[in-house]
Amino acid sequence: MVNIAHLIPVFPFLAFWLNIAFGRRLGRGSAYVSVGASLISTVLAILVFMGLKPGGGSYELATWITIHDHPITLGIIVDSLTVMMLLVVTIVGTLIQIYSIGYMGGDIRFSRYFAYISLFMSSMLGLVLADNLLMLYIFWEGVGLCSCLLVAFWYEKPAAAAAGVKAFVTTRIGDTGLLIGILILLATGHSLRFADMGSLPGSEILMAVAALLIFLGAMGKSAQFPLHVWLPDAMEGPTSVSALIHAATMVAAGVYLVARSYVLFAMHPLALQTVAIIGAISAIMAASIACTANDIKKVLAYSTVSQLGLMMLALGAGGFTAGTFHLMTHAFFKALLFLGAGSVIHAVHTQDIRQMGGLIHKMKITGVTFIIGALALAGIMPLSGFWSKDEIFITLWQSGNPLLFGAAVLTSFLTAFYMARVIFLTFLGEPRTETHAHESPAVMTFPLVILAVFAAGLGFIGSPWCHGAFQNFLTGGEEAVHLNYGMIVFSTALSLSGIGLAYLLIVKGFKLPGSDCPCRNWFIRLVENKYYVDELYDVVFVQTFHKICEAMKRFDQLHIDGAVNGVSTIVAFCAQAVKRLQTGLVENYLLMQAGGVLALLLFILGKLCRIF
Amino acid sequence: MIPLGHIVALSLFLFCVGVYGVLTQRNAIRFLISVELILNAANINLIAFNKYLGSPDGLGQVFALFVIGVAAAASVVGLILVIAVYRLRKSVNTDDFNTLKW
Amino acid sequence: MNEAVFYIIAFLVGAGALLSVTVRDIFHGAIWLALTLISIAFLYFYLDAGFLGVIQILVYVGGIMALFVFAIMLTAKIGDRSISQVNRQFWPGLLIAATLFVVLGKVVMDGPWMRLQAGSPVTDLKTIGTSLVTSYVVPFEFISLLLLAALVGAVVIGKVKK
Repeated sequence: MVNIAHLIPVFPFLAFWLNIAFGRRLGRGSAYVSVGASLISTVLAILVFMGLKPGGGSYELATWITIHDHPITLGIIVDSLTVMMLLVVTIVGTLIQIYSIGYMGGDIRFSRYFAYISLFMSSMLGLVLADNLLMLYIFWEGVGLCSCLLVAFWYEKPAAAAAGVKAFVTTRIGDTGLLIGILILLATGHSLRFADMGSLPGSEILMAVAALLIFLGAMGKSAQFPLHVWLPDAMEGPTSVSALIHAATMVAAGVYLVARSYVLFAMHPLALQTVAIIGAISAIMAASIACTANDIKKVLAYSTVSQLGLMMLALGAGGFTAGTFHLMTHAFFKALLFLGAGSVIHAVHTQDIRQMGGLIHKMKITGVTFIIGALALAGIMPLSGFWSKDEIFITLWQSGNPLLFGAAVLTSFLTAFYMARVIFLTFLGEPRTETHAHESPAVMTFPLVILAVFAAGLGFIGSPWCHGAFQNFLTGGEEAVHLNYGMIVFSTALSLSGIGLAYLLIVKGFKLPGSDCPCRNWFIRLVENKYYVDELYDVVFVQTFHKICEAMKRFDQLHIDGAVNGVSTIVAFCAQAVKRLQTGLVENYLLMQAGGVLALLLFILGKLCRIF
Repeated sequence: MIPLGHIVALSLFLFCVGVYGVLTQRNAIRFLISVELILNAANINLIAFNKYLGSPDGLGQVFALFVIGVAAAASVVGLILVIAVYRLRKSVNTDDFNTLKW
Repeated sequence: MNEAVFYIIAFLVGAGALLSVTVRDIFHGAIWLALTLISIAFLYFYLDAGFLGVIQILVYVGGIMALFVFAIMLTAKIGDRSISQVNRQFWPGLLIAATLFVVLGKVVMDGPWMRLQAGSPVTDLKTIGTSLVTSYVVPFEFISLLLLAALVGAVVIGKVKK
């Protein structure tokens, strides 16, 4: 049953063409085309999962191109990592598309939206199925394109159009790195297949450089520092898009890429360390920004950056299973949180959490599922986020680097704090503004409930109670996972203290000691302005670029145009002089002709016949 | 018989007079007269070489005949053009016509 | 005797040609051209090309010369005789013609033709007639076509439009 895996991306792709070609005629029916296609993909993915043999495998569809006797094949890889990603993408994707039927209901470009979503699904599934880097790169660009199209979906809003451009350009920096990395691997290692990646010929340094460049691509896609700036802006797109692309699947592609080419990274300590450090910086930075953001989607966006950083951190510290486990659980509870936020926005028509409050009384299903997702993200005991975060903690503790462990602890604490803050401000307490909120329709709440079930229960497959079924599925090992009571107590206490701090500050209105200190204000302002990264980029890149362009323009106008105009002036001048020759008098022409004949005659007689 | 060179020299003189006429005369009819001289110079050569070098099928004389035919056609068309131009511009002087430029 | 005849003919041809392009009156020029053409016809007789001589007189003197005279009479102006008949490039034109004469004259003098005496059999009319309708029938037909085209063209151009 594994050999049907290549059909999985085909159905969403067909749905894309159907919706593009007949979207106007299909009307609301285009949603059913897309949902149906992705349901078929889900069924196929489950079948592939059922038929998966231990260790997995790959099969070739065709030889694509041959470069110097090194064939690049259209190959499909089917192993536990791919199957996990397939299940996540198809299940979350299908649920989000069902949700979108309600959320995008009144939109004028309804069918266009579903066409893009189908194209995205197809690209994303192709990305996880690709067995070599070149195929992956194509689908990688495909998801990037869909991301740009969907972020700028409401392009009538200037902010949305700008955000689409920003998402595209920022990830492009990473993509360029990825492309160069692929070319280095192709030039020195002669193979792009993931299966060969552990045994590539080529110098150590070049391989390390290639690994770092591939990680640059992952940084762009997964919005890691310093390429994280596009993700918060991408929240201009529809919330369902944010849930699917910018929380659950596409941004996880970077983490997936690192996990997929993990052997390449594992060979070079430097590459792994870079991954870990970048992950740690992103995790702490984004978590701290999330604490000050007031836009519910921005909070979730920075939270996504932070959690992706945590995954990178785990991968960089050697925790392959920890990172991928967190990737899976995060996909579900973050999609749930975004969809819940979308439901709230749909009801109250604002994104500012300061204007919400007490919504749980009016929106029971949304409220409860959102709180389940938030607690899972904060890492409360039996929910999925707890187990994956616990796994990361254990990995980092065992790696013996106190700084990295500290970064994870701090991130985790901040995560509990900002999620509690969102809950307290949005769903609990008293309404701060007059709203006529109401529960969303069933088509939107149904996916919330399903996702909440996943968010709550999915952790168990990686827990000691299931004997680490997930870990063994991923690595193919038989290792039992033991309960680490010390770590459980520690991380629970950490999460609870974060929630407690939020309760004290927001509900009870306590002030932190030394809150009047000017240094604190200075720090708060720094965080509130997102560490001035956008401003820094503006000064360093944008304005420099403008200055260079200005200089180029001056040079162009002065010298290039001058040269061109000079040439034309010279030609015109010469023409003015030469046109005197053309008198219009026939006898003049004849004279010139006779003179020419005479000269030619003299030349021939003198040079060739040597008569003169 | 006189040597062939003398006849060729006569033909060359005729040709050069024709060229001189074409280049220096302003009257279009004189122009055509000069062209006739040039064509006749060529004809003298053809017939003289036919006489001195011989040809089993009389090639030189046949070609001289063709030249005469072509010259007749050229003269007819040239003269009628001169007359047509004269009707329009009341002049047959070539230096009155300088629109053939720029 | 033979040589004397040739030199007389040559003198008539050369003088006629020179006068036909230099005399001020265009009508006189046409008369001198007629003299030249008749002299050339005699040269053809001298060169044993009697048929060509006859044709020369028929076509040139009888046909083309008549055309020239008509053209001159149709276009001549009263004041023409007083103004110069040469244009502004008289000196360069003369120079080129003279140089051409000198250069080609040297070629003629240096060539092998100065010593060449006649020795070939005479081409008779029968040979020419046979050639015209056998070997050279295609150019012959083309010439007739060309003459027809010239005839029609002359009529079209010369017709006075009402």
